[in-house]
Amino acid sequence: MALWGMVIDLDRCTGCQACVMACKAENNVPAVGKKEATKGRTISWMQVLTETDEEHHEEKVRFIPRPCLQCDDPPCTKVCPVYATYRNPEGIVAQIYARCIGCRFCMAACPYNVKYFNWYTYQKEQPGQNPDVSVREKGVVEKCTFCHHRLQKARERAHAENREIQPGEYNTACADACPAQAIIFGDLADPGSEVSKLARSPRAFKLQEELGTKPKVIYLTEGEGGG
Amino acid sequence: MVDHKDDYEDILLAPIAHTGPGFYWAVAGLSVFILWGAIAYAVQLYEGLGVTGLQQPVSWGFYVTNFVFFIGISHAGTLISAILRLSRAEWRRPITRMAEVITAMVLFIGAGQILVDMGRPDRIFNVIRHGRYQSPLLWDATSISAYLTASLTYLYLPMIPDIAILRDRLGKWKLFYSVLALGWTGTEQQQRVLNRAIAIMCVIVIPVAVSVHTVVSFVFSMTLQPMWHSTIFGPYFVVGAIFSGIAALIVAMILFRKAYRLEPYLKPIHFRYLGQLLLIMSLLWFYFTFAEYLTGYYGAEPEEMKIFWSKFSGPFWPFFWAMVLCNLFIPLACLVRLGRRTVGKVLAASLSIIVGMWLERFIIVVPTLSIPRLPFPQTIYVPTWVELGEFAGSLALFALFYLLFTKVFPIISIWEIREGRVEGVKEVEERVKSYLPDEVKGAA
Amino acid sequence: MENYHSPSDRLIRKLQWVWVAGFIVLVLGIITWFIHLMRAALWLGDVPSAAIGIPLVAIPIFLALAGVVFYVFWGLAIRGRDR
Repeated sequence: MALWGMVIDLDRCTGCQACVMACKAENNVPAVGKKEATKGRTISWMQVLTETDEEHHEEKVRFIPRPCLQCDDPPCTKVCPVYATYRNPEGIVAQIYARCIGCRFCMAACPYNVKYFNWYTYQKEQPGQNPDVSVREKGVVEKCTFCHHRLQKARERAHAENREIQPGEYNTACADACPAQAIIFGDLADPGSEVSKLARSPRAFKLQEELGTKPKVIYLTEGEGGG
Repeated sequence: MVDHKDDYEDILLAPIAHTGPGFYWAVAGLSVFILWGAIAYAVQLYEGLGVTGLQQPVSWGFYVTNFVFFIGISHAGTLISAILRLSRAEWRRPITRMAEVITAMVLFIGAGQILVDMGRPDRIFNVIRHGRYQSPLLWDATSISAYLTASLTYLYLPMIPDIAILRDRLGKWKLFYSVLALGWTGTEQQQRVLNRAIAIMCVIVIPVAVSVHTVVSFVFSMTLQPMWHSTIFGPYFVVGAIFSGIAALIVAMILFRKAYRLEPYLKPIHFRYLGQLLLIMSLLWFYFTFAEYLTGYYGAEPEEMKIFWSKFSGPFWPFFWAMVLCNLFIPLACLVRLGRRTVGKVLAASLSIIVGMWLERFIIVVPTLSIPRLPFPQTIYVPTWVELGEFAGSLALFALFYLLFTKVFPIISIWEIREGRVEGVKEVEERVKSYLPDEVKGAA
Repeated sequence: MENYHSPSDRLIRKLQWVWVAGFIVLVLGIITWFIHLMRAALWLGDVPSAAIGIPLVAIPIFLALAGVVFYVFWGLAIRGRDR
């Protein structure tokens, strides 16, 4: 059984946010408008967080592209009262818009703030959207799904051609778009995949690992790392 | 059974028998706020939760604070009524009905806050069809429905003899009272059945009440967020609930004492005892708060300290220190010497505590959400007219429910006062004698 | 003593049965809900410990409440009038 994960190399990330734009286009993530954005309601499944060095303000900035970290022990799924968010057997934390009651408990529980809420109906179904991804109404929570619809399409194609899905057939939009190839996506359960090999690098670290959430997005620190 | 009329009983039946202009003015005033709340909610239902001040990362604000606040007040009824009944404190007699009504009415309002907070209230049945017991919200649903059922039962059973009095003496609504009175005629056998049932309810209701606010606290403490993930939350919330519940009870008592001229029944001694209870709860609340913050400060875990300083000296300092002022210093000042002007001092303390406990809930919910662990962009949470209207409407709705109740049922338990005069006095005398050394036969 | 077969008394008796029965039905409905949630969780394999443990505590409480109300109804309205 596959275990989908991602490695993001912080040394390669330039903060260009191509991943953010690709994700927005691929997943019909709404543009909330200037007024809503100033109120703090931007929806950005893939978001580039900027971390300034505490000692050297305005000198050193670190760009951290942060999708949903698809934890293996997710704090968000524990608290959902209606099973609208759950971890599927392949490691993707799913979000079911039709089930969500909008209580936002998962938003309060997520230590990485990857969940976003539709405070209004920000967009209706219209031409120009990705037909593979549903358009969300007001009142439901949404988040990065590792472009799960692409997995479904790849699986269906493989099934129709009577074969298994090949590595590289299923890739997330952000990984495809990154011009610096800082985002590598793949199957962590396959020890030969690029993701698995990079995850074992001495530069690898996980965000807030001490919380025990077991995130499957692994970051590679800048420089030589290893200590 | 005690059958003779008490001298002042007509006062207790008067609000049900007659309705003065004061009632209509009160209803009109409350209706204005309820209308504001209703319009606010209608706008929110149509447009979405965006009309509130909520945003990322503060996705829980006024509504969740109100939820915890109202559920907290519901601890007035049971704990006062049940514990005083079980400990046979005679001074409870005029108070128990008022306390029980608070619980029953405010639970509806409290549960309603969650409904208002939901993004998709049309999907409320998803909680019933697809609920998961791993989620603290389901524990809330179970616990609150148990508490609501138990407190309505616990309100109704001691009312039965009073309903029988209304059935026999009032003249109007005879069918309604006759059905509810369950054929009460005051025989010894009936009295025994009722007393046994009330005693069982007292014992059931206390653990259910404790479980309610404990599971409300678990909504916060079961997450990993700094200053929420604390083991003290269960008892802390229960203590805070009893604290705010007693304060709300005192305010209700004083209001209705004035409006219905209940001075013969609600004497300064009752307020004195309640004031002393309030003082004890204030110190107990402070003890828990102190333990909570000292533990956070001493451990100096960086994420917790960010939240700690935001409350102590950061953007939330006015709310935090106002909370301490309202919950500790003002009650201490008012309640330490309750000799003269008891009622006034106790009222001042109670009003202060109600404000202070609302601030306490706010201080728990919002600062932790405001300061995320990762460098996420932040804004300030400012509630809008929708949230304020919903709060005002909820308070007014609760007051209206309470007021309507007093128009249909007596707000002070008539039969328990009668019982207190005869059997209560006798029983207390025997009890005191049993505490002292037995009398030697033949001694003078 | 009142004539216990006068029409208004019979109406009162009927209405009392109706509303006590309504309460019992409500309690049974809530218990059915708990059992439904428990069975759904066991079928999905979703935290069976909580799914069994919580209804195990909650259902007896509701049964006790229904029992108390019915006991009072029986003792007052049914047995009580026979004195």
